[in-house]
Amino acid sequence: MKTRIIAKLDAKPPYIVKPVHFEGLRKIGRPDELAERYYMQGADEIMYIDIVASLYQREILYKHIEEAGKDIYIPFAVGGGVRSVEDFSKLFHSGADKVVINTHAVQNDPEIISRASRVFGAQAVVVNIEAKKWDNWWECYTDCGRIRSGRNVLEWVEEVEKLGAGEIVVQSVDKDGRKRGFDIELIKQVVEKVDIPVVAASGAGKLEDILDVIKKAKPNAVAVSSVLHYDITTIGQLKAFLTEHGVEVAK
Amino acid sequence: MSNLVGVVDYGVAGNIPSITKALVTAGADVTIVKNAAQLEQVDKIVLPGVGSFSDAMVELQKSGLMTALKEHVTIKPTLGICLGMQILAKVGFEYGESEGLGVFNGEVRPVICHGQVPHMGFNNINVLNGTPLLNGLENEAFYFMHSFEVVNYTDVIALTDYCGHTFVSAINKGMTYGVQFHPEKSREAGIQLFRNFIALEMN
Repeated sequence: MKTRIIAKLDAKPPYIVKPVHFEGLRKIGRPDELAERYYMQGADEIMYIDIVASLYQREILYKHIEEAGKDIYIPFAVGGGVRSVEDFSKLFHSGADKVVINTHAVQNDPEIISRASRVFGAQAVVVNIEAKKWDNWWECYTDCGRIRSGRNVLEWVEEVEKLGAGEIVVQSVDKDGRKRGFDIELIKQVVEKVDIPVVAASGAGKLEDILDVIKKAKPNAVAVSSVLHYDITTIGQLKAFLTEHGVEVAK
Repeated sequence: MSNLVGVVDYGVAGNIPSITKALVTAGADVTIVKNAAQLEQVDKIVLPGVGSFSDAMVELQKSGLMTALKEHVTIKPTLGICLGMQILAKVGFEYGESEGLGVFNGEVRPVICHGQVPHMGFNNINVLNGTPLLNGLENEAFYFMHSFEVVNYTDVIALTDYCGHTFVSAINKGMTYGVQFHPEKSREAGIQLFRNFIALEMN
């Protein structure tokens, strides 16, 4: 199995930003330029999340999504503010191949996962998790790491798998944007809990962090953003490094 | 000579924009086909598809495309992609048993293996029988995104290994081709596959 490397773009339209700890946004660049840059570098997928859509409770901005996806010939996953099966449909018509959902499913309507999976297939439904670590458990957060849900991450991932999700992205509210390594224990436990692909996100600050999470937690994919945005590495360099250390990746 | 590629839109396919974009990049003239009359006008057919086998067949019945497709996909070069490949088989078992277009003698079953399903990501193809569609692509990796597979023993042109399991990743019979992967999501290798498809000779 080849481990996928996903370039993750956090959008506060019209810009891609980088939140630290899910707050303190820094402007990085334009979505279409960054998507194309990371595509050319060899990304296996691009993931675009409008990180303020849920928080502001506003409509998804389709125009920016169409622009970001126009020059890339790899899967394009899109999320942020998705509330209905119609939203899924509109996103696919704007160029998305997968739709990422979190807030609405956690807070209001877990069944949206099964409805969307029935219509578009499991492979098109990605559930994003914002996990906050407490003493001996992880809690699902929503609205870009701001709102508590009371749900236990390890119970929620099992539930979304049963509902028909095709993939789970595990973000860590504590690690995101800090560049100090992944929450390996969290990702490992999620990988062991479910049989669908798991994407490790949040925390990569150097090449070794990414190797570490792949070796120890065995996710299906790793999502990176800060290390690319701040020119710490390119996807080409990352893939060469991983290959050198025995991790199979697509060229 | 006209060489118009018709991408069939039967309601459930969400990935039509990506497929159209990649076909145009590969040099095709593309039109969207929504009914039998439009199907008559095209020289080549691309059958996309995301979603489930049973929903796809219901939609094809409703739009009246079922009968027309059964006729056209064997006399015009046709490429089924992912679910579009699967519905070319005889029978599917996703959300109940349903009849497919019946070009390939086989059935569509869930992927059962020691890895995670859906099978998601770039993977290699092992070409068994050289066909013009896969010319020059013998050592390339393509993007897969699926939970079901076509079980067939007679028309296989490529196989793929995933976590100890080998499944059919490309299939061909006469004018009809199917690929389980997504050429439109497979970088330059996918564009090349579309170029090969555009260059296929017609009857």
